[in-house]
Amino acid sequence: MLIGIDVGGTTTDAVLVEAGQVKKTAYVPTDHQNLLNCLLEALDQIIAGVQPSRIERVVLSTTLITNMIAEGKTDPVALMLIPGPGTNPQDYHLGDDTIIVKGAIDYRGREIQKLDEAGAEKAAADISARGFSKVAIVGKFGQRNHAHELKAGEIVSAAIPNAQIELGHRVSGQLNFPRRAATTMLTAATKEKYREFADHITRAFEQRRISCPIYILKADGGTLPLQTSLEMPVETIFSGPAASTMGVMALTPPDQTSVVVDIGGTTTDLALILSGKPLLSSKGARVDSLLTHVRAFAVRSLAIGGDSAITVSGNCLAVGPQRLGAALCMGGPTATPTDAMRVLGLSGIGDLGRARKAMEDLGRQLGLTPTEAAQMVVDAVVDKIVSEIRQMFLEWEEEPAYRIWEIMQRGEIEAQNVAGVGGGAPPLVPLIAQRMGARPIVPDYAPVANAVGAAVARPTLTLSLRIDTERGEYIIAEEGVTGKVGDRKMNLEEAEKMARRLLAERAERLGIGEYAGEAEVTYSEVFNMVRGWSTVGRLLSVRMEIPAGLLTGWERC
Amino acid sequence: MAGSKGKKGKTGLIFFPAFDWAISPTHPEREERLLYTRDQIFEEGLMDLPQIEEFKPRLAELKDIARVHFCVPDVEAQVTEAHLIAAGSTLTLADALESGQIRNGFALVRPPGHHSMTVAHGNRGFCNVNNMAILVEYLRTKYGHKKIAVIDTDVHHGDGTQEIFWHDPDVLCISFHQDGHTLYPGSGFVNEMGGPRALARTLNVPLPPGTTDEGIHYVLDNLILPILDEFKPDLVLNSAGQDNHYTDPLANMRFSANGYARLNEKLSPDLCVLEGGYAIETALPYVNTGIIQAMAGLDYSHVREPDFEPGRFVQSETMKREIESTVAQVQSLWDKRDDLVDVALSELGDFYRRRKRIFYDTDMINENQEEAVRLCPNCPGYTTISSQGQRGYGTLNNVYCISIPRHACSDCKTDAMEEYKEHIEDRKYSYVYLQDKDRDKYLIYNVRTRNQKSY
Ligand SMILES: [Zn+2]
Ligand SMILES: [Zn+2]
Repeated sequence: MLIGIDVGGTTTDAVLVEAGQVKKTAYVPTDHQNLLNCLLEALDQIIAGVQPSRIERVVLSTTLITNMIAEGKTDPVALMLIPGPGTNPQDYHLGDDTIIVKGAIDYRGREIQKLDEAGAEKAAADISARGFSKVAIVGKFGQRNHAHELKAGEIVSAAIPNAQIELGHRVSGQLNFPRRAATTMLTAATKEKYREFADHITRAFEQRRISCPIYILKADGGTLPLQTSLEMPVETIFSGPAASTMGVMALTPPDQTSVVVDIGGTTTDLALILSGKPLLSSKGARVDSLLTHVRAFAVRSLAIGGDSAITVSGNCLAVGPQRLGAALCMGGPTATPTDAMRVLGLSGIGDLGRARKAMEDLGRQLGLTPTEAAQMVVDAVVDKIVSEIRQMFLEWEEEPAYRIWEIMQRGEIEAQNVAGVGGGAPPLVPLIAQRMGARPIVPDYAPVANAVGAAVARPTLTLSLRIDTERGEYIIAEEGVTGKVGDRKMNLEEAEKMARRLLAERAERLGIGEYAGEAEVTYSEVFNMVRGWSTVGRLLSVRMEIPAGLLTGWERC
Repeated sequence: MAGSKGKKGKTGLIFFPAFDWAISPTHPEREERLLYTRDQIFEEGLMDLPQIEEFKPRLAELKDIARVHFCVPDVEAQVTEAHLIAAGSTLTLADALESGQIRNGFALVRPPGHHSMTVAHGNRGFCNVNNMAILVEYLRTKYGHKKIAVIDTDVHHGDGTQEIFWHDPDVLCISFHQDGHTLYPGSGFVNEMGGPRALARTLNVPLPPGTTDEGIHYVLDNLILPILDEFKPDLVLNSAGQDNHYTDPLANMRFSANGYARLNEKLSPDLCVLEGGYAIETALPYVNTGIIQAMAGLDYSHVREPDFEPGRFVQSETMKREIESTVAQVQSLWDKRDDLVDVALSELGDFYRRRKRIFYDTDMINENQEEAVRLCPNCPGYTTISSQGQRGYGTLNNVYCISIPRHACSDCKTDAMEEYKEHIEDRKYSYVYLQDKDRDKYLIYNVRTRNQKSY
């Protein structure tokens, strides 16, 4: 038996899956003051009458970190940057608690300026005097050579006993110093509280005698053992949209291109599955005002939903962005798309009389019959969603590319399916699909698709290997590992083989070794280094990933 | 003041390193050229800054190329996809600039183009087609700009761009570069100053090897910027080569990344197009970072090559005097530009003719040209070029090219059409071209097969 629990913005959903079937579902309103309680309440509903020993796996998707950041409840962090030459660090706007230390590494990982250790000591003393216990240390090109970060880390830890120190290179092996700085800072700011939460969870599960592995869902649709996730709490942000996308993957035919439309009360979230693979945002998620390296699905949110308030000015009708309360037909204060759909017979929710009254009022202002007014509302909602989907396609098509073949090959997206989840989906998805010339899919378990997605998502993992054969070195930033390479003429195939082996080892350490076989190369490049007129070495980069996917044995409905 | 100074908005950036294209595996123009630049500008996170917007490159249309070049035998034969993307990138930025989406832009693309001339038999100086000229003609055709200034800041003389706009008084071409006595392509002397009607609208500033930041900024402050103030172009474009850098392996100048950034800040070009620059590790990452920052109005004072200290290179008195004297010479040509034109025209009849020999170093082609420009009283006048490309002792192609300018008078149009009809019957030529910029129509006639092709 698999359990998936998604603590969402309005409700907390849980499902129990057995033999590829959803056996049980539960809903609890989300209490933002106590996420743990509502999570456990949903859990208790779902496990009532179930032998704890029969539960094989539990996956949690929570808004904990998202909320913590949005509400400014993260811990204060001092950011120590070792930027070297380039951009003025002030242009990154990483906050007032930023301290600059001299020292520089270049793009090939060579030290071009020694770390100013005296400066680092002074900075550490300053950080300590200002009462910080959490410090993020990030160097430009630290992912290519982490010597400065390590040394600075030692200096800070000597100056501030028990300091919690996060080093940039452990957070991401990708290029982009300010994103690495932001991500490292957020990691430092959330780790302690996340650990407390995880401890509560662990205890609560022990009390319920559930001893199976507990996983947490990440923004990239992958799961991670709860214990491992303690090292990377930020990765769990935005797991909600990831859960719904994974849910759609679980509930629709494989390998197809689908638009995922999650229509809630006030917002609609859009995501894309291209030929069976969820589309990741190209660089990483934006968290509040910070751009990060967190791998997340490319999600677009628009402020429109079943409860959006309808306003009329002159002959024009606008839907949203505000929500004044529930729909009139549900006893709320104002006309909403839910009332329009009720009048048109697209849904059976709410009181028909009140819905009619809402549309009559609206029709009077617009000089239309109630049915015409309702149609106009539904058209407006569909228009808005469809145009946002088209915009999303366009954005994907317009992503910068750096190779000829990428530019030549990238075509237009054609969606085969429009898959809907969330309360507003059943009546609207067929209309959206019709407009897109695609097939509408509203899975049976659409209302709990998030929890289903969590329940059946498999682990994901990334490893970036970089080899510089002229310098005779390789480095895996996320692991903080470096080593020697003897073969100057190493080719890409050999590098990929090496990456595969290293990923398997990393997966083993993280407790997800059984999925290493699913790893694939998602990016690789090789450059001959020519000096004068002869080749002196090669630069190879390989990114190996276990991509988002479903547990083996999951039977699609 | 022309250029992007004082304008609001973002800086558009297209980065197209053509990681899968090289002239040959060990050629300076190879896959690796912009690799470290990519690492640096991506690591800096420049594309994420609110001042900068990154665009996806597009392919230029064949017609965009034909608007500038007579490609032999046709456009398809001279360009690869990489060339179309490099040229197309500049056009994407042109559209963004014209629509007001950006205030200025930088096409950080390869392969480069400024050594390509009007007739293209092959590759010259690593260039097949001239990205900058393609951009200029696109801006004029699509957006109706009249006066454009092209400042070539590559260490090599921008001889291709000069040749393409030689007769055009509305395109001011200023190139400063290492003296042609000491560097490819061996041209770009002060006395090369344009056709009879466009005298001193081509200006060359040859500089002694070893010229420093100080020398180049002297040229900028005392010559280029004042001339731009007087010329009042609609747009200022920078052919932004980076081989004046003190570490460039192909040249001998001493310009720094900071010097390049400051140059772009002062010049504030509307669009920059990358040309050469082959110090791929020691210069390009820093120079490109500096240029992008300067264009975006960001602080570039933190950009510094690892081995650079301010004051590292000091200019000698002799060098200083030499540069001042060159600047004074060029200034005086500019000052008497209208007189120069009057005198030249008074000595010429209906046509101006000249012979040219052009050498294509990369492809080892020798070209012999005879050019004629009609000195029409009513319009810019049409041009014809008879061109023979030779490799070794064998003739590659003998072609005849006719160009009708924008706003051509009806006489010139009629006569140019007559020339076309006459030459397509002439078995001496293998191809005859008609470039009608007025109608934006481009024809190629294959004399042997009697097929006509149009763009
Ligand atoms: Zn050059
Ligand atoms: Zn005329």
